[in-house]
Amino acid sequence: MDLVSLYVDQRKPGDLSQERADRHPRLKIYPTIAETLTLGRSKLAVDGVVVVGEHGVYPLSPTGIMMHPHYEFFEQITKVFRDSGRSVPYFNDKELSWKWDWCKKMVDTAKELKFPLQGGSSLALTWRIPSVEFPLGATAKEAVSVGYGGPGSYDFHGLETLQCMVERRKGGETGVEWVQTYRNDAFWKAYEDGVWSQELVKAALSRSSTLRPADPTFTDMFPSLEQLKKLVSDPIAYHYQHRDGLRCTMLLMNGLVRDFTFAATIEGQSKPLSTQMYLPMPDGRTTLASFFSPLVHNAEVMFLTGKAQYPIERTLLTSGLLIAGIESYNKGFQKLETPYLADVKYQPNPESTFWRT
Amino acid sequence: MLNRRHFLTYSALSSATFAYPGLFRSAFGQIPGTRPLRLAVLGSEYRLGSHLQDIADRFLVGYPHDGDWYKPDVQVVSVYVDQHARIADARPSSYDISMTSSAGSFPFPKEQAEQRAARNAKGGAPLRSQQREEEPASAGDLSAARAKQFGFRLSHNIPDALRCGGDRIAVDAVLTMVEQDSQLPYPANHRGQILLPSYDFFQQCVQVFEEEKHGVPYFNHRELSFSFAEALRMVETAERLRFPLLAGSSMPVTWRLPDVDIPLGTNVEEAVVVGFGGFDAMAFDALEAMQSMVERRKGGETGVKSVQLLEGDDVWKAAEAGRWSHELLRSALSRSDTPLGLTVLDGRTQDLAAPGVLQQLVPNPIACSIEYSDGTKGTLLMLDGAIQDFNVSVRTTRGEMVSTQFFMPPKPNRANAACLAAKIEQMYQTRTAPYSAKRTLLTSGILEAAVNSRHRLNERLETPHLAVSYQPATESQYART
Repeated sequence: MDLVSLYVDQRKPGDLSQERADRHPRLKIYPTIAETLTLGRSKLAVDGVVVVGEHGVYPLSPTGIMMHPHYEFFEQITKVFRDSGRSVPYFNDKELSWKWDWCKKMVDTAKELKFPLQGGSSLALTWRIPSVEFPLGATAKEAVSVGYGGPGSYDFHGLETLQCMVERRKGGETGVEWVQTYRNDAFWKAYEDGVWSQELVKAALSRSSTLRPADPTFTDMFPSLEQLKKLVSDPIAYHYQHRDGLRCTMLLMNGLVRDFTFAATIEGQSKPLSTQMYLPMPDGRTTLASFFSPLVHNAEVMFLTGKAQYPIERTLLTSGLLIAGIESYNKGFQKLETPYLADVKYQPNPESTFWRT
Repeated sequence: MLNRRHFLTYSALSSATFAYPGLFRSAFGQIPGTRPLRLAVLGSEYRLGSHLQDIADRFLVGYPHDGDWYKPDVQVVSVYVDQHARIADARPSSYDISMTSSAGSFPFPKEQAEQRAARNAKGGAPLRSQQREEEPASAGDLSAARAKQFGFRLSHNIPDALRCGGDRIAVDAVLTMVEQDSQLPYPANHRGQILLPSYDFFQQCVQVFEEEKHGVPYFNHRELSFSFAEALRMVETAERLRFPLLAGSSMPVTWRLPDVDIPLGTNVEEAVVVGFGGFDAMAFDALEAMQSMVERRKGGETGVKSVQLLEGDDVWKAAEAGRWSHELLRSALSRSDTPLGLTVLDGRTQDLAAPGVLQQLVPNPIACSIEYSDGTKGTLLMLDGAIQDFNVSVRTTRGEMVSTQFFMPPKPNRANAACLAAKIEQMYQTRTAPYSAKRTLLTSGILEAAVNSRHRLNERLETPHLAVSYQPATESQYART
């Protein structure tokens, strides 16, 4: 497989694209997306497309989400597909779009033009510690993920952490009925009231490798609720209910952890299923962001086989949950009915796609 | 500087009193579940980041285990910190001070020594007594704060830690973490080995065990001793006195990425483990990691017949000569998440095993070439400058390669130590070591032989004394649930 063309939307100091092109002479940089796909000729001239639309600086949407140009890229790319009468497999990193209608349109267009579309977060594909999978067809009662980062960015990873597991439950994905966001005092009240299970949060946190000690003279300790409140100054939860009754909560606990963990209550199991989606983060912990290896590998398999390795509806749902979570926050933590998310029904790939060999 | 302190000769007491294991066990009068197991903790220094702090704290505040924050059914009742005793020993006595009118250049703050001398002069306090009125401690020492918080006894010596101030043994288990002291380093010998007093700690405990005809489960963190002869005596003593002994590094029990082991009874041709850091500090962990896999080969462990330490260009030449497999190195490196060099510069992925890359990144490569008695080859490559994690690849005689990373979770949690704590507690509660201390006997011996080889200008050394045979645990012992 050759990387033959590259379009970079924003080139700022530290840009590496020219360095990469110089070192890989087959790689040409083009000024437009259309030319990147046609290699400067009239028709589509590549066998696959990778879109990574983040880490640039774009304006904020009215609800405060950075308007990454996933959809605009998609429009330009599918125009070339249409004009050429041919489509190729398409990988879209992270969420589909910051606007729900556009997310939906991307998925619909891929179906219409019959090309495989695959995307989402590396968290769904990376190593798990322990290396466990949600049992296909099991009945889940409740699930949580605990992560870090802020709304509009790492919340997406927390949502994918949850969804890549719970989509394997009995009946597959049924869609989401409502979403409610909690933050700050409302978060702690909900935490104490048991809006989500403290036991599951504890199970998830016991899988973390980055639990910040509440007492700095210790290196690994579990915080009390009081300590938790001191460690986490701006906690966020997206709490939502699937149509089959499953309740999920995505928690962002900045100040407490720097990784993503998962826990779920599964019928017939005496204790929660829990794991860490391992993020070898080059922020001093590692040097290489090698959680991208499984993401890239799965994209490569899609390019080679012409088949998406996991359903794009997962990413459609998580993109929608992100948008709804932020909307609930903007509307004063209202519980929002999400009829559009109730329509996102799909079956998981029965075969696990997370990194394990 | 202090020499290693020998309190007794290991064979001083008759073992006849241990002739009846039933008698021995009856002294272990505790019925499981009736009260927490009482633990004595012995170690070098209790500062943030020391192994003593890392592991002992887990028995105080719990640790992540099997999907829960687990509170061990263990109560730490006494702690002995060698640093306190060594600081006290290194201080001038009031006699010294009165004779020289100076606290001299002792390795502990002069002011404290002078204050002590002044106090002694005023109050006419006795010269060094066994019961010191206060624990001399270095800056950063956590033991007093922990003792206050958790209500354990801070003992002045090892027998006291085992007897908790009484005249009979009053603990159900012993945890030892002897490591290099950051404040008052233990001396090294002419071959560069740090003279860590693991053996002395053990022998002092054994003296108590023998006096009272009662031994308790004993954990020795990392190497049994820098000396194979001492390590062997430790293992033999534990067998003779029939108390369970567990030892070694956390690498054999930590998570693996991916979660793989070689099937028990596999015919193994060769193994390569790649590690980082200084040889004297980190090689042991890498050796233990590799040994925990190769010991599962057909026939179990039968020992090592030769060891050679190679350095510099000789490491690469040895690969060209087929002494170790470049293919296995490539496979092991593919498991690393910490490639250095250009990855650090601009985030690129790179093939560290490509021609010339390692030669550029690793200024001082070290290979420890191990020939096992049954013909299996093992090589430890310390490639400091290339990576920052431990990875292994094992080739079976059928040509299959099994490779993995031994996961070292980041600081401060370092949850690999939680995996080890779980194994330690398992031994305490069941009075059975989950895996053989002979693994660590062998790795301690290999390490000593490697240091000897270095001292003899990288000569290949026959190691008939390392004919250490043992069988691995049937079930893999690394963390996976």
